[in-house]
Amino acid sequence: MKRTTIRLLFGAPVFLLTAASIFGCSAATTVQPWEKQNLARPEMTFDYDPLDTRYTEHIYSSKEAASGGAGVGGGGCGCN
Amino acid sequence: MMGTALLTAAMALPAVDFALAESAPEKTKVSFKYLNYSESQYTPGIHSSTSGGSDDNETHHHAVIVDLVSGASTTTTSGSGTGAVSSDRIKVNAYTVSALVPIEGKWSVGLNYTYDSVSGASPQYHTSALTTMRDQRNAGDISVTRYFSRSSLTFGGSYSTESDYLSRGASLMGSFSSEDRNTTWSFGASLSDDSITPQLAGIGNKSKSIVAGLVGVTKVLTKNDIAQFNIGYSHGTGYYSDPYKANDNRPDRRNSATALARWNHHFEDSDGTARLGYRFYSDTFGIKAHTLDAEYIQPVGSGFDLAPLLRLYTQNEAEFYIATNSPAETSPTPVPAGQAYSSEDQRLSAFGALTVGLKITKKVSEDLLFDVKYESYHQRSDWALSGKKDTGLAQFNVQSIQVGMTCLF
Repeated sequence: MKRTTIRLLFGAPVFLLTAASIFGCSAATTVQPWEKQNLARPEMTFDYDPLDTRYTEHIYSSKEAASGGAGVGGGGCGCN
Repeated sequence: MMGTALLTAAMALPAVDFALAESAPEKTKVSFKYLNYSESQYTPGIHSSTSGGSDDNETHHHAVIVDLVSGASTTTTSGSGTGAVSSDRIKVNAYTVSALVPIEGKWSVGLNYTYDSVSGASPQYHTSALTTMRDQRNAGDISVTRYFSRSSLTFGGSYSTESDYLSRGASLMGSFSSEDRNTTWSFGASLSDDSITPQLAGIGNKSKSIVAGLVGVTKVLTKNDIAQFNIGYSHGTGYYSDPYKANDNRPDRRNSATALARWNHHFEDSDGTARLGYRFYSDTFGIKAHTLDAEYIQPVGSGFDLAPLLRLYTQNEAEFYIATNSPAETSPTPVPAGQAYSSEDQRLSAFGALTVGLKITKKVSEDLLFDVKYESYHQRSDWALSGKKDTGLAQFNVQSIQVGMTCLF
């Protein structure tokens, strides 16, 4: 069990650094404010329909072992 | 009637989701959503073949689900003389009301209330010995956000009660954007404290505490692409066992790590939007899981949007998971001598899962929106991409429908 914990702790920062470098190096040309009308559409945001997300994430976290990833502060319930 | 809330599919309190939110909303938003959820399990009977399995523990199972308790409706079909068995499990009806109120352009307050009723049958071990249960849940949460020119700070609190479970939580989240607002860094931290009072003699009161943290970056890549990457870590201690299941004795500590990548792309030609996500999950129970999400939202005129969705999931089993011992088991598998921890919970077995769904949204006006969503979920041990498949488990299925409305004032 202890070894697994260490692996968990070790894996996360490595993954973060890798991703950060990918994000940092993606030499995307700067998108100007007047070019953001498509990005402003609700379906282009990551919190599109939060009530749908809360039902869906909860169903999955109560029927599968994995949970979380998108946010913090999800309260507990007796379902898992 | 046992109040086996620990087995239920009651609605959890929401997580404060990472999003770009450096400006207060302009209007008050009020939403309502109803969920109808129903589970079933299915054993196809004698397999004609179990080809493809490379593991030698694959067994041909003669399907009989032992339904010890009345109340779980079970139907036996005799298609091809195989004796397939299908049983209903849990049903949930949930109602959520939500409001987001802007205050003086610099603050917003979010309020949510959820009521749900849960009833049906849940297995005492594996997919056997279905036992009826019924429970209700009331949950509320509040969040307060302060907006600054290029950043925001959110504090949240949550509370939830069931007949045998009480949860309290607090969270803090912040976000900071670059000057061009094309990059946003986010962080979040949360605490939860749960009290568990199993309605069984001799167990006593239990508790569980979880501390979690998350960091993420959201980046505008082009005028039609936005991507997000989050890393999360959670440390939990306390009572993780399920007192209503046989031979369930889990470690009193569970740490988990997640990595989530999301990418939304808008197609100018079709005016449609693709939403893609991948999550990696790993925990100290020894479970690793991969989740792929895809959704495509297509406007079709008259204010209607059609959105088909697909989700793929796989996990391996927990280190202490104990598999079924016979094709048609009538008792739990004995715990091997000397094994400290054990569980015969299907949710800790190795499996793969598939969800297909369709959502229809109708925008009546700029301030009024209706939506309906149907999803069909299928979970099978045969579909696990890693781990040791427990082929004695029944297939698990869920059908769900959501109906929602959003108004802006």
